[in-house]
Amino acid sequence: MNRIEVLAILAERRRGVPLVIGPGLANYPIATLADDPLTLYNMDMPYVTPMALGIALGWPERRVVAVEGDGSLLAGPGVLATVGRYQPLNLIILVFDNGAYLTTGSGRATTATRHGTDIEALGRASGIARACTVEQIAGARAALERAFEEPGPWLLVAKVDTTDREQAPRSPSLPVAVYEAGLRFRRAALEQRSPA
Amino acid sequence: MAAGYEVRAGAGATGPRYRAEALEAFHEGFRAAGIDFAVFLPDSMLDGVEQLMLARGEIPCFQCSREDEGVAMAMGAFLTGKRPVALMEGSGIGLSGLVLARGIVQRTPTLIVAGHSSTLGERYDYHGATRLVAEPVLRALEIPYHVLFDVSQIRTVVVQAQHTVEGQRIPVAILVPPFVIREA
Repeated sequence: MNRIEVLAILAERRRGVPLVIGPGLANYPIATLADDPLTLYNMDMPYVTPMALGIALGWPERRVVAVEGDGSLLAGPGVLATVGRYQPLNLIILVFDNGAYLTTGSGRATTATRHGTDIEALGRASGIARACTVEQIAGARAALERAFEEPGPWLLVAKVDTTDREQAPRSPSLPVAVYEAGLRFRRAALEQRSPA
Repeated sequence: MAAGYEVRAGAGATGPRYRAEALEAFHEGFRAAGIDFAVFLPDSMLDGVEQLMLARGEIPCFQCSREDEGVAMAMGAFLTGKRPVALMEGSGIGLSGLVLARGIVQRTPTLIVAGHSSTLGERYDYHGATRLVAEPVLRALEIPYHVLFDVSQIRTVVVQAQHTVEGQRIPVAILVPPFVIREA
């Protein structure tokens, strides 16, 4: 399976869920399939999960998803300990583990997961009991559906291949620029938290 | 002693003693500014403030693993309508350059309170690196900051800094030299 296939499942389940997406190719399927004001695209690594954690702690009634890459999460794995410490029931961390810094240059540079690092094990050791690794699309669907229904925090590691690199748009664009994204997100959050 | 609450930096009797009026002034300033989300990485200068906030329990407090992670958490909370503050040693500002820049571009600010300053009261050589990164990073990012000089300033500075955070949608930092918060 590749990221696009898993993101299509996430897009089906999204329904206005705040989403923070890391840098790279994962942004475009979400932008195409399930854009929402409650989206931060292309979050600098390693701040995807930390920013999603802040959203989850600040808005505990709403489920929040961090869409990470293996490279992005491994740039700041300490946040897993913070998630383990506070156990936010509404946080889902979805990590695409393709074993590569796929968006960069040739895409051939490997991440540490190709050499033995186990992100699920990191999460468990950090106190995130609801951690799992999925390698097939059916397993990814089942895990995501569970994470949207049952309390977290969840750490879902999706082992994906690199075939989505060839499917990436040549001239990618996103529905909102970074300098608009925070204003758009906060306005929507305030409206939804305090309906007129 | 702050309302019967004695705060020391360490568990032992030899830890530094904080100025109770400074701890109270920060707590009162945060409350007056509407701060409703705090994230911190413990440091010797602000531990008294953080422990007082935890003891009082009026402002939700979260401890992070690294200061830049904490700044990102604060910015995430801002997105949900919270008024966050991030407390850290000045060295944490050095770690937070990228996420602070992201917050400026993305219009997701936070109030920052950081121990130490470049000029005032730094007697220890091992704070040399800390004092070299905090203010230069703030200046490079054009983040306004104020170096406290006296306890009597604390409440006003906190409240006014938060006005700037909200009005200008930019991070603002308050730097705390040792003599302001610790007894000599």
